[in-house]
Amino acid sequence: MSKSKNPPQRQANGSAATLGPHSEIGRKLKQYYDDLVTEEVPDRFTDLLRQLEESEQKNSDRKEGQ
Amino acid sequence: MTAAGDFKRDLLGAIPSLRAFAVSLSQNADRADDLVQETLVKAWDKQSSFQPGTNLKAWLFTILRNEFYSQMRKRGREVQDTDGAITGRVAVHPAQHGSLDLDDFRKALEQLPEDQREAIILIGASGFSYEEAATICGCAVGTIKSRVSRARAQLQQKLDVTGDADYGPDSIAAQVLGSSAV
Repeated sequence: MSKSKNPPQRQANGSAATLGPHSEIGRKLKQYYDDLVTEEVPDRFTDLLRQLEESEQKNSDRKEGQ
Repeated sequence: MTAAGDFKRDLLGAIPSLRAFAVSLSQNADRADDLVQETLVKAWDKQSSFQPGTNLKAWLFTILRNEFYSQMRKRGREVQDTDGAITGRVAVHPAQHGSLDLDDFRKALEQLPEDQREAIILIGASGFSYEEAATICGCAVGTIKSRVSRARAQLQQKLDVTGDADYGPDSIAAQVLGSSAV
């Protein structure tokens, strides 16, 4: 099999030719990583960012009120 | 939308990559999510120091990586192996060509020294250039290249694959051949 199911998207920036689609290591590395990237993001992170935004909003409101 | 709103949206978009990098570095899902959380808080506090238009993902990866190593130092470097010392410890059975098992790969990756693992992840999976990876890791481009090369050689050895037939001898083999020919 010389054709990969996931065609190379990384040749353009010139890095990692030796980890490219013809390399078993390169393919497994992408597979390993893509499995991690596609995991669902836990709510704790969206909640965290909302809290950070809200606290900043409060701070700036307070400053404007003074 | 406010600048803060844009920043928040961009941070949200970066979370999947940050988590993947954090798991790759720490090899522990809980620790990885703590790292991501710290990274998001730090990034939010430092958002004025981020230059819009530059690579946000690289900036965030740098923060996460610094946090990881700072935590490691605090923990007293519980696990660290010098390059190559662990080679051969894994009993990963050779896979049939072209059907390398992902679990075997994961085990082999876990056993790489952190500096090699992060280099091969940044270059081979996260989509960074050698220059970007060098900036993230605070080292020279040549150092990243050498770490990637050693990581790849170790993985190939552990997993008993060659995999670079299309590219000729890898740089390590070339160096070995070169030095023995002198």
